[in-house]
Amino acid sequence: MKLENPVQSLFALLFGLLFLSPALYSIWLSFQTADAYYAGGLEFTVDNYGRAVGQYHFARYLLNSVIVSGIVTVGGISIATLAAYAFARFRFRGGDLLFGAVVATLMIPSHISLIPNYLTLAKVGLLDSYAGLILPAMASAFATFFLRQYIRGIPRSLDEAAYMDGATSLQVLWRVIVPLSRPAILSMALFIFIGEWNSYIWPLVAIGKDDLYTLQVGLARLYRINPGEGVIDWPLVMAASTISILPVLLGFALVERHLVRGITMGAVK
Amino acid sequence: MSSISLRAINKSYDGTTPVLHDVSMDIEDGEFIVIVGPSGCGKSTLLRLIAGLEQCQDGEILIAGERANEQLPQHRDIAMIFQNYALYPHLTVRENIAFGLELRKVPKKERNARALEVARTLQLERYLDRKPGALSGGQRQRVAMGRAIARNTSTFLMDEPLSNLDNALRVAMRTEIKALHRQLGATIIYVTHDQTEALSLADRIAVMKDGYLQQFDTPEAIYDQPANQFVASFLGMPPMNFLPADKVPFWKGDADIEIGLRPEALSINPAGAGDFCLPGRIAISEMTGSDVILHCDTDAGRLTLIEERTSLTKGGGDVLINVDLDRAHYFSKADGGRVNPA
Repeated sequence: MKLENPVQSLFALLFGLLFLSPALYSIWLSFQTADAYYAGGLEFTVDNYGRAVGQYHFARYLLNSVIVSGIVTVGGISIATLAAYAFARFRFRGGDLLFGAVVATLMIPSHISLIPNYLTLAKVGLLDSYAGLILPAMASAFATFFLRQYIRGIPRSLDEAAYMDGATSLQVLWRVIVPLSRPAILSMALFIFIGEWNSYIWPLVAIGKDDLYTLQVGLARLYRINPGEGVIDWPLVMAASTISILPVLLGFALVERHLVRGITMGAVK
Repeated sequence: MSSISLRAINKSYDGTTPVLHDVSMDIEDGEFIVIVGPSGCGKSTLLRLIAGLEQCQDGEILIAGERANEQLPQHRDIAMIFQNYALYPHLTVRENIAFGLELRKVPKKERNARALEVARTLQLERYLDRKPGALSGGQRQRVAMGRAIARNTSTFLMDEPLSNLDNALRVAMRTEIKALHRQLGATIIYVTHDQTEALSLADRIAVMKDGYLQQFDTPEAIYDQPANQFVASFLGMPPMNFLPADKVPFWKGDADIEIGLRPEALSINPAGAGDFCLPGRIAISEMTGSDVILHCDTDAGRLTLIEERTSLTKGGGDVLINVDLDRAHYFSKADGGRVNPA
């Protein structure tokens, strides 16, 4: 976007800084020592990052979050794409009812399913495991709904042309629908990834072992490291927070250019 | 071998409103068949049934003598060109043309060579690495055709492939399709609502209305011996004139019929006398180049005819219209069917 005049540019800059200021402040804080912070002084250090990774197992939490969020994203988007394709393109008995049921689950607050999910996983012995973190998050009703709507916007004649060219239903999905839905699929993948990355309640409930904690659970534990003194080591918390947002920023940077671009131009007259 | 037979095909989309009624036709190997009719007559549905993209409720589809009702489109070995071209927008022209070959696991080198060969035939070489979004309407239409040709199949279905092109391009592409049919020797079933395309392309024409097959015959037979009033009025430009027999003063036969007169069966009679003449007045004249289309009002009804441009045909004047009854057609007033008057 081209800005028309300097006043607009100034406003844009000010608003940008306003929204960025909490993040910038937390990054700045993460490079201070706790003593200097509480004494109101300034003392630069990178030690907080070293402590977060070394002393408080943040490397392990980071790895856990990457594994869980990665598998949930890949698995979740695959399931949602397959389901969305079926709902968008095939007529089968009970299809509309089933889709209605999928959409209806969007209206159920996630905390309501917390206890049933816990009991189910306890019964099958999947608490305190990666599977216990991954499986309940694998099906995304919102992604299914969103992708179904997107796929319905792709001209059906493209599917038919592919069938006439000799494609099977799965080949139509893989060779035609998926490439044309790439912006939507990547948006949803990022959405699922961020949702899982930031997930706190479920990992807190389902995991009791330190070496399976995800970043968010680990981050919350940092608030309690000096319980007796009632003082929180904010520079340490901010260093850990900065570590936790880096993969999300990286993910966004990777898919950002695909998010808004429509590529169906020229398909049909 | 790619003969196609349709036996008593019935189709309804909602189970209650029939779209096709008992449609039967036998299409020979290598024939160019044009299915023609007004919008909503079921011609595209019929094509989609042959393609396997729709299922019929009743009837049988035979491809090369074998029942194909249950066969999936990908197993029918039929290529189809869609009205909206349906090009894959994420693939280049080369990839679009070679898509069917790729699905059949033809080696890359071979399919690229084939794509190039087809592109040469259709003068698309320069655009092989472009995506459909960067092509004009005519170029996209040729890519759609190239995609069908590349597969070396013996049957092509074309669903109004020229309807989105401008007139000049349509005429040029029509000639190319005709030449292509000669070159490939394939069976082509072509759907259009354009009667000029139908008459100029077809070996045989199937005329449809409201889901019923009205007539299935050669263009000459359909033009010269239309089975009913609808067929007579649908093919021919300007369309056939119809006069109620009881309003024609010189008609001595059965009064309960309609007399059909093509424009070429009518002429302005400069001498001003004759046995089969109708007095009239030129209401509108349309210049078409060397000729002029005259719309004349008579006591029996309005008549349209074509004349050479002369001072007589300028418009507005009283004329005497000569009727060549040897070239007249007769239709029952009751059901519109062709009759031989007593």
